Amino acid sequence: MSTLDWVALVAVVLVALAWFLSYSAARLDRLHARVEATYAALDAQLVRRAEATLELANSGHLDPATALMLAAAAAESLAHADADEREREAVESDFSEALEVALTPEVLGDLRSGDEMTQAGLERVSAAGVRVQLARRFHNDAVIDVRRVRSKRSVRIFRLAGHAEMPRTIDFDDALPEGLHD
Amino acid sequence: MRIGIVCPYSFDIPGGVQFHVRDLAEVFLGQGHDVSVLAPADEDTVLPDYVVSAGRAVPVRYNGSVARLNMGPVSAAKVSRWLERGSFDVLHLHEPITPSVSMLAMWAAEGPIVATFHTANLRSRIMQAAYPIVRSSLEKITGRIAVSEDARRTVVTHVGGDAVVIPNGVFVDRFDGAEPHPDWVGTAERPTVAFLGRMAESRKGMPVLAAALPEVLAEFPGLRVLVAGPGDPDDVVDDMTPQVAAACEFLGLVSDVDKARLLRSVDVYLAPNTGGESFGIILIEAMSARAAVLASDIPAFVRVLDGGEGGERGTAGATFRNEDPHDLAEQLLRLLRDPGARRGLAAAGRKRAAHFDWSVVSADIMAVYETVTDGASRVRPASDMTPRWAKILRVRGGAS
Repeated sequence: MSTLDWVALVAVVLVALAWFLSYSAARLDRLHARVEATYAALDAQLVRRAEATLELANSGHLDPATALMLAAAAAESLAHADADEREREAVESDFSEALEVALTPEVLGDLRSGDEMTQAGLERVSAAGVRVQLARRFHNDAVIDVRRVRSKRSVRIFRLAGHAEMPRTIDFDDALPEGLHD
Repeated sequence: MRIGIVCPYSFDIPGGVQFHVRDLAEVFLGQGHDVSVLAPADEDTVLPDYVVSAGRAVPVRYNGSVARLNMGPVSAAKVSRWLERGSFDVLHLHEPITPSVSMLAMWAAEGPIVATFHTANLRSRIMQAAYPIVRSSLEKITGRIAVSEDARRTVVTHVGGDAVVIPNGVFVDRFDGAEPHPDWVGTAERPTVAFLGRMAESRKGMPVLAAALPEVLAEFPGLRVLVAGPGDPDDVVDDMTPQVAAACEFLGLVSDVDKARLLRSVDVYLAPNTGGESFGIILIEAMSARAAVLASDIPAFVRVLDGGEGGERGTAGATFRNEDPHDLAEQLLRLLRDPGARRGLAAAGRKRAAHFDWSVVSADIMAVYETVTDGASRVRPASDMTPRWAKILRVRGGAS
C-alpha cells in the first residue's frame, strides 16, 4: 500500500472511532438524564405521600396517638427531602413502617366507613404510596442501565461519563399497609 | 392526558395484544383522555376513529409464529409524523421487541415512554441477535410493565432491571351480563363444554381434548363440545374418531357478543392449552361469565386461577396435568357429575375475575403514566442521538 492509502485508512479508522465515541457519549448522556428525571419523579411522589399523610393525620378521624405518630413520620420525611440519599432511605423506610403500624385493617375499615373527605384523604395516601413504589422501581431500572453502560471498557478508557457521579439504586421499604390498595 | 399508544400487530387480525390496546384506548377515552393508537392496518379496513394506520402489514415469521407486522422507511416516516402531530404526554409501546412500529416508535421518540411486555416466551437466540440493535433504544423506556409474572421474568432475564406486573383487563360486566343462548345451555343428558381458539394450532390443545373425549363420552354419550374459533374443522376432524367428531359442533369464528353468551351458557369452559401462553385472558373472560373453568396446569393458567398467592392450586378453577388426556377426562367427568362443584367454581371464579376488571387495570396503568410524566416534558422526536460532530458538520454545510 502506498503512503496515501495508509493515511486514508487511518483517517477512516479515526472517523469511525470518533463517531462511536460521540454516539456512546450521547447515549450515556441520555441515560443520565433518565436517572435524574426518574429521581425527580420519586422525590415528587415521596413529598406527595408525606403531604397526603400529614393531611390525613390532621383530619381528626384518627385517634390522637396514631395521628401524632403519622404526622411525626411525615414531617421527618418532608424535612429530609434534600438530605443525602442514604439518609433519606432510612427516613422513608421508617415512614413506610409508621404507615403500616398506623393503618391496620381495622383502622382502614373505620376510615373507609367515614365521610367522603376522609375516604378521599385515604385514597390520596394510597395513590401516592403506589406511585412511590412505581417511581422507585423505574428509577432503579434507569440506574441499572447507566451502571451497565458505564462498566463498558470503552466508556471507562475514554472517560465518556465525564465527572457525572456513578448513580446508586435507591433501596428502602416501600411496602403499603395491607389492604390499603387492591 | 394526551396518550399515544403503539400496537405492533395488525388490527385486521384478532389477537390478544390488539384487543388489549383497543380496550385500553376505549377505557381512557371514556375517562376523557385524548388517545391516539398507531397500528398497522390494510387500506380498506374500517378502523375506529382513534386509530391511525401505520400502513399495510406484511406477514412475518418471528419468535415461532407468523405475525402481521410492518417496518421499513415508509413506516418509519409515518411513525415520526404521528409522533410529531400527537405531541403526547406519554407514549405507551406494546411489545417493543418485535420488528414493528413499536420498535420504530421507540427508536424515533424521546421523553416519557412506557412499554408493556406481553410475551413470556421470547427465544433467547432472538434476543441475543436483537440485543445490540435494540439495547440503546430500550434504555429510553422509563416505565416497564409486564402483563404476567412470566412476561416479567422475560424482561428481567433479557432486558435487565425489573417490570411492574399489571395484568390484561377484562370488561367483567359484559361477560357477566351476557344472555345465555338456549342452543348452548347444557342439560343433564346433554351437558355442554366450550373450547375457544385456533383449533388447528396444536398448542391450543385440541389434540389433547380429542384424545380425552372417548373416555368422557363413554359416561356422557350426549356430551356436546362447542368449538368456537377460526380455522377449518376438517383439519382437526381428520385426526378424530367418528364418535368424537360427532360430539364436536363447530361454530366458526364467533362475535364478541356470542363469545360472552357461549361462556355464559356452557357447563364447563375447557382450556387444554399446552404452553406458550403468557397470560390466559380467556380464563378470566370465562370466569367473568360464571363458567366453571377446567384448564391445563401450565404456570400462566395456574397463576390466573389461584392468584399466585400460594393458595391451593387452581382455587378459582379446576386444573388437569398438562398434555395428559386421561387426567383431563377424569377432571372433566368429576365436574360433569357434580353440579354443586361447578357452581362453587363459578362463584369463586367470578370473585377472582373482579381483580382483572378494566376499572382496576386502567387505574394501575394510569398510575404508571402519572409517575413517568410527573415533571417530565412531552414526548418528542429523538434528536440528540445524532452525534454532535454530525450536527456541527450539518451546520457548517448549511452555512457555506
